[in-house]
Amino acid sequence: MYEEPYRWVEAVGNRRHYLDEQFRKGSPVVAASYAEGIVLVTFSRGTPKLYEIYDRLAFAGMGHPADLEKLRFTLLEMAHVEGFNRSPSDVTGARLMKNGLAPTIKQAFEEIYKAPFIVKILLAELGVKAGRDTFLTINYDGTFEETHGWAVLGASDDAQASMRAFLKQEADPQRASLAQTLSMSLLTWAVGSLVQREEEPDSAIPEQTSASAESSSQKSAAAPDPAALREHLRTIGTEMTLECVILGHSLPGSSKYRPLKAGELAGLLPSDLLPAART
Amino acid sequence: MQGDFLQLLKEQGYQFGAAHAGDGAGVMRSDITFGTTILAMRYADGVLVAGDRRATAGNMVMYDRTDKVLEIDRYSVMAIAGVPATAYEMVRVLEHSFKYYRRTQLQELSFEGKLRAVSKLLKDNVAAALAGTGAVAPIFAGYDPDQEAAKIFFYDILGAEFEAVEYAVSGSGSPVIRGILHYLNTWGAKPLSAQTVDEATAQALRLLTSAAEFDSATGGVNREANLYPVVKLITSSGVSRVEEQRLKSLFEEQVSRHV
Repeated sequence: MYEEPYRWVEAVGNRRHYLDEQFRKGSPVVAASYAEGIVLVTFSRGTPKLYEIYDRLAFAGMGHPADLEKLRFTLLEMAHVEGFNRSPSDVTGARLMKNGLAPTIKQAFEEIYKAPFIVKILLAELGVKAGRDTFLTINYDGTFEETHGWAVLGASDDAQASMRAFLKQEADPQRASLAQTLSMSLLTWAVGSLVQREEEPDSAIPEQTSASAESSSQKSAAAPDPAALREHLRTIGTEMTLECVILGHSLPGSSKYRPLKAGELAGLLPSDLLPAART
Repeated sequence: MQGDFLQLLKEQGYQFGAAHAGDGAGVMRSDITFGTTILAMRYADGVLVAGDRRATAGNMVMYDRTDKVLEIDRYSVMAIAGVPATAYEMVRVLEHSFKYYRRTQLQELSFEGKLRAVSKLLKDNVAAALAGTGAVAPIFAGYDPDQEAAKIFFYDILGAEFEAVEYAVSGSGSPVIRGILHYLNTWGAKPLSAQTVDEATAQALRLLTSAAEFDSATGGVNREANLYPVVKLITSSGVSRVEEQRLKSLFEEQVSRHV
């Protein structure tokens, strides 16, 4: 029945609906440049969400772990074969995205008899010089976007929009220190996570007072309450694991990717942002 | 096998070593770049690896700024003796193999795994090694985090792996210094493994100068051109290079007045 064009469009529409549902409980990802590199931040349950792809390239994903793993391997193979056969400087995020990820993901999405990839992926690429960092994000339908300064992954368009709005106000990619950017990224994560929570249909909060829910959603679009963000981070810290990775210009050797250990985070984050359960 | 980069390359049509294979009859031996002295020895904090910088083809000096002590990753070094074309290719394969393994398997390749990877490459290269067009006899040194010790291994051109207790040498100039190392380690003021960094570095400079004295294919130190050997140190904090300035002052204090 999908032979008819209308049916096909309808089926793709259904797919969107189905896929949007899959991300609803996912944890957002925030990536932002700072003066000496890039910070990537997220919270995860069990399966890590941040990975190293190549010397200057980090990978972050939302969605189904098996799908993410498959695409991560595609990227790893492409990057290493290219880096070996040509040179490490020929491995770029933009080419991996355009030639590798985007066609694969788009094809899977539109082949309506097969399962789509349940993924949203972010690639962060450390520039050769400071100020040249690139961020690439791709959606489950294969549409991708290149940005500079910062990038986010969130369950819904609204969640992503509020995180970007927050970053636009707070981020300072040229001058901010690692500690500042780390705190700001965590708060951005909380902004996205709170928006996603409000969107959940079975959420216990909205029914309390529909009027206040309305006003709070307006508020979150304008300026999120810092105290609420901190409170949210504190509770999340008891349920999930904070994951932080940097791509740093000053790291020794050719690989610029390094996860931050819990001990280092304690030195970088103010005590009210440190996940409570982990101290 | 999961995380095997060489396998991935082979699937894409790459063959290590095969391009050099053949009976070598068509190639004049003097056309092939050769010559080297490399050495690795224990010292108090770990292992020192040093190599001269000359590459020769027959009687010709091809290049005097070769780096034969190459970092494969933050914790391992391969010093190369033999045909540089094959040796550099080996280093590139190893470098990518270790990275690929770490990134796909989300853990470092074990030290034994790294040693095995070197052997396997040499084995793939046997045809070229026997033909005379691709023989490589490297020294592999690295820090083994499991046993918390820096170790030295050396290989013959067929891929047999030997662990060196105190020191290892390879290359055309190596017979000259092998005896000196044995003498120093057995009857010297202190065993090699008790030397400080400076003592070991000065010793390495003396050894390479001795090798250059008797082997025309070894470069030694060229002070007019400000050319010093490459000296790298492997300790628990990884691989570091001894700065040229340091080599220069050690050479002036402890080496030059004796030659």
